[in-house]
Amino acid sequence: MKMVSHIAFENIRYYKSRNILIGIAIFLTTLLLYLVPSTGLNLIEGQFAVVNEIYPTWHALFRDVEENEVEKLAAYHDISTYGLRCDAGRIASEEADIFMIYLDENGFLLYKTKLLEGELPQKEDEIVVSANLLKAIGKADKSIGDRITLSYQILQADTLGFMEEKEFLITGFVEDQASGEQSKVYSAFVSKAFLEQEIPSNIRTYRFLFQVNSRKDALTSELENKINSIADVFGIPDNNILINDDYLMANYVDPAIQPAIIGIMAIVMAAGIITIYSVYYIGMTDRIQEFGRIKAIGATRKQIRWIVLLEGLLVAFAAIPIGLIAGSVRLKGVFYLFLHFFQGENQSIHIMKELFDNNQLSLFHGWIYAAATLVALLTVCVSLLRPMLIMSRISVIEAIRFRPECTDRKGKRVRKEKSFLEITLPRLSYIYLTGNKKNTGITILSMGITGVFLMVTATILSCANPKEIANGEMLGQYEVVIKVDNRNKEHPERKWNNIIRNNPLNCELKKKIEELEGVTFVSEFDYIRVFSDSFGEDSEGVGGVPEEYASQLEDGIIEGTATYEDLKSGDNVIIDKDLLQWYPDLKIGDTLVLNVDLEDEECFREVTILAIGDYSTGFTNYNDLLMAKEGARKLCSYNITESYHIFTSKVYSSDMEQALHELIAADSDRLQIQTWQEVYEEWSSSMATISGACYMFFGILGAICVMNIINTMIHSVHVRKKEIGMMQALGMTDRQLIGMLQQEGFLYILGTLILSIGVGSALGYPVFLWAKEKGMFGISNYHYPAAAAGIISLSLLLIQIILVFSLSRAVKKKTLVERIRFSE
Amino acid sequence: MSTILKVENLIKYYKTGEAVVKAVDNTNLEIIRGEFTVIVGRSGSGKSTLLHLIGGLDRPDSGRVIMDGQDIFSMKEDQLARLRRNKIGFIFQDYNLIPSLTVWENVVLPLGLDKKKVRKDKIMEILSKIGMEDRKDARPDTLSGGQKQRTAIARALAASPAIILADEPTGNLDSKTELEVMSLLKKCVNEFGQTLVMITHDETIAQMADKVIYIEDGKVVTVS
Repeated sequence: MKMVSHIAFENIRYYKSRNILIGIAIFLTTLLLYLVPSTGLNLIEGQFAVVNEIYPTWHALFRDVEENEVEKLAAYHDISTYGLRCDAGRIASEEADIFMIYLDENGFLLYKTKLLEGELPQKEDEIVVSANLLKAIGKADKSIGDRITLSYQILQADTLGFMEEKEFLITGFVEDQASGEQSKVYSAFVSKAFLEQEIPSNIRTYRFLFQVNSRKDALTSELENKINSIADVFGIPDNNILINDDYLMANYVDPAIQPAIIGIMAIVMAAGIITIYSVYYIGMTDRIQEFGRIKAIGATRKQIRWIVLLEGLLVAFAAIPIGLIAGSVRLKGVFYLFLHFFQGENQSIHIMKELFDNNQLSLFHGWIYAAATLVALLTVCVSLLRPMLIMSRISVIEAIRFRPECTDRKGKRVRKEKSFLEITLPRLSYIYLTGNKKNTGITILSMGITGVFLMVTATILSCANPKEIANGEMLGQYEVVIKVDNRNKEHPERKWNNIIRNNPLNCELKKKIEELEGVTFVSEFDYIRVFSDSFGEDSEGVGGVPEEYASQLEDGIIEGTATYEDLKSGDNVIIDKDLLQWYPDLKIGDTLVLNVDLEDEECFREVTILAIGDYSTGFTNYNDLLMAKEGARKLCSYNITESYHIFTSKVYSSDMEQALHELIAADSDRLQIQTWQEVYEEWSSSMATISGACYMFFGILGAICVMNIINTMIHSVHVRKKEIGMMQALGMTDRQLIGMLQQEGFLYILGTLILSIGVGSALGYPVFLWAKEKGMFGISNYHYPAAAAGIISLSLLLIQIILVFSLSRAVKKKTLVERIRFSE
Repeated sequence: MSTILKVENLIKYYKTGEAVVKAVDNTNLEIIRGEFTVIVGRSGSGKSTLLHLIGGLDRPDSGRVIMDGQDIFSMKEDQLARLRRNKIGFIFQDYNLIPSLTVWENVVLPLGLDKKKVRKDKIMEILSKIGMEDRKDARPDTLSGGQKQRTAIARALAASPAIILADEPTGNLDSKTELEVMSLLKKCVNEFGQTLVMITHDETIAQMADKVIYIEDGKVVTVS
């Protein structure tokens, strides 16, 4: 075994250039195998950490929990931690809404309310306030230890009592919430003693905030089921359960992330395997005689296999640590570059960066080093399986008789065509390449596969045009839309059936918007919330499309027929194709019995599906049942306007946005403004990040595959050193030599480009159709990825030119006589 | 009779470790157009180095090789390459055929490199004279040693060079084939008026030449 290992060691030195290429391929493979999961894991961990940093961490709260129930709930096995809150009353202020709240110590923790200085209130006249709260009541000069007199109303059984006045001692200050400053809503924290003094125990109830016992990677649905089962045990009614959706959703582990990372790693591994195998394969023909001789002097099959494996593993042992070190050095840069694209639009990214900067989170994970090493080694072993098998099965006689320049491995004649009448440089290249079909094929195939992946991905990225996505998501440059929230018990005023009774989107507001300078047109879309047996327990939206969009409504029909006139009756609808994802049984001609959500009124209406359409979300406003505005208004007599789409002379003006904010200021809790510019910038940033990450990934993957052409070209020159020397002796100039090598390289590049761009483009289109169908990135139109095709072509040509230049220089290092005498 | 090639004070030394090998040591000689000249010497006498220098495959340390009045070492590499394909035909001991090309393609290769039109009848005449017309589409690995060398001779003749330089062309052949190849080379000189310079260590072959140059330790010792 010692001698066998020695042979492997010597082979590494003898086949230096090939092993360097394999080393580079292993290095790059390891780099990706390390960077991809590290970046993914850091994003997930960073997201968890940010969530814990900024969101209240209770999973749910139960309202109206009496004091004796609190103890029972606290002892329940599925509850891991809990806190108490009680809204005691309101402090009188004309400037702001100020609530008096009791929160116990755990409550403070679960709400992430930070006490900046001082202590929590203990006595009945102690209070904790915030700086802005004091400013709002005109007592900005007060600090800890000062006394302030406050007028307040106690909240008892959902009713505010008479105004009272009391002097409080300020014991602490809490941080002001940014959202509180905007909406002028503040909280003052009172003691339990105050609560007990002001609210009799028989009517005193708490909000019981709690976390349930769960795994870190638990799904939202699992947590929700647990919360509901606790509520069942304690008989908490549904409307007294509030689940912290923001927190749970942010903690939710997207089941697609792990398979995506594994998928990407599998692609990297495949590229590594193809490249390493191909590098071995291309050089294998020269080594058949060598292994035949070793076998002839008595090496067993096992020993031959071991030589091949050990040679690869020794290269891997050198390349993998370099890959891991380079990955570790680059990880911070790569990860921060990734985060950089999100900056400015996402506060959580700033916090995430801070957490990493302050070493509260580590970028490096021991198990990823171990996993990357193992997968890289596995890649090398899998790549070597076939070479090991081929070499160990060589027949000694065949191997010794084997002449690599004449035959392929199975001894078949490789050229059957008749002679060319004349020999030109392109013909010389053609003859060589067709004489080495398998090598040529493997090289082209291994590079082309990466190119195909790149082109398909580039097609998706080029189709995800931020401008088109923004146009699809929004009609007009500004949108004023109702904040409908039917599930928020804290804000019943946001329920649709309450909004329509006092809709802030009224004629008066519309007129004011139309009068703003620069506004050219305001379009008004309606929305009706409906239930139906066909939708189970879910509600759906009927959208009322204004007349000016009649042609767009008709043009969007992909199946069936309907005119805008047909949809005015209120008896017919067009359904958006997205609805079929949820209700695949729906079809043209079906009748739906719609129950309009009016809470205290019954309003049933039968409608017939006339057609199926494909519309952008900007057009439907996520309402999948569409009618003419006139028709929709026949279903409901209230003001059902959902949004104003505002068209202006300029794409964006901060003055216009400011003016709109001022117009809706009075109803800012029920209305929101979205700008086209904002949507566009958000998508531009997201797409830049995704594109950057994808191209970086494919750049490294491409570099792995480029090792193929480098190896093939080096090999082709190496085995033909004598042949090239001979042709030069016969009068081939250096220029002609470079030209011949360029042509050979060009044919590899041409083959790779035909495969990459040809097959990649052909596959790109169905993938675009699939992405469009699935609504991926809001893709609507096909854009050929010309830039990616150009970059691939130029990069390959550049690589080939550099390679040929280097190779011809290397060839010229030896004298002509040495080359003619060269013998393998 | 005009001189086609003149060698003046040619020197080529090689360093092997500390020792200096005088492969060609201040050699002077002349080759007459249309003559068959043989350079004879023992193994290591410097005859191959001399042939490589005459053919412009290697550069000397000093001295000149004048071909048709031109100092070939004053030329740049690419000019020298053009000179080789236009004026010199090479025949090597181990044939040096391009394995991926057929007999025909090997023969027309120098013409292709020079972008010259291939005159099919002329090449067929050469192949027919050397008895390879039936094997013109065969690849070198399917040929016998004699056939390979005949192909190499055809290749040397194809571009109608001013001079053919043959480096022990019969060294790898059996005696019967050796005789065939030598008759062929003689035929080239006699029928095509070709100038031929051949190196060999075989005295019998040397007797077939018009002029014999004996070389020893890189120096011309006698000319007969």
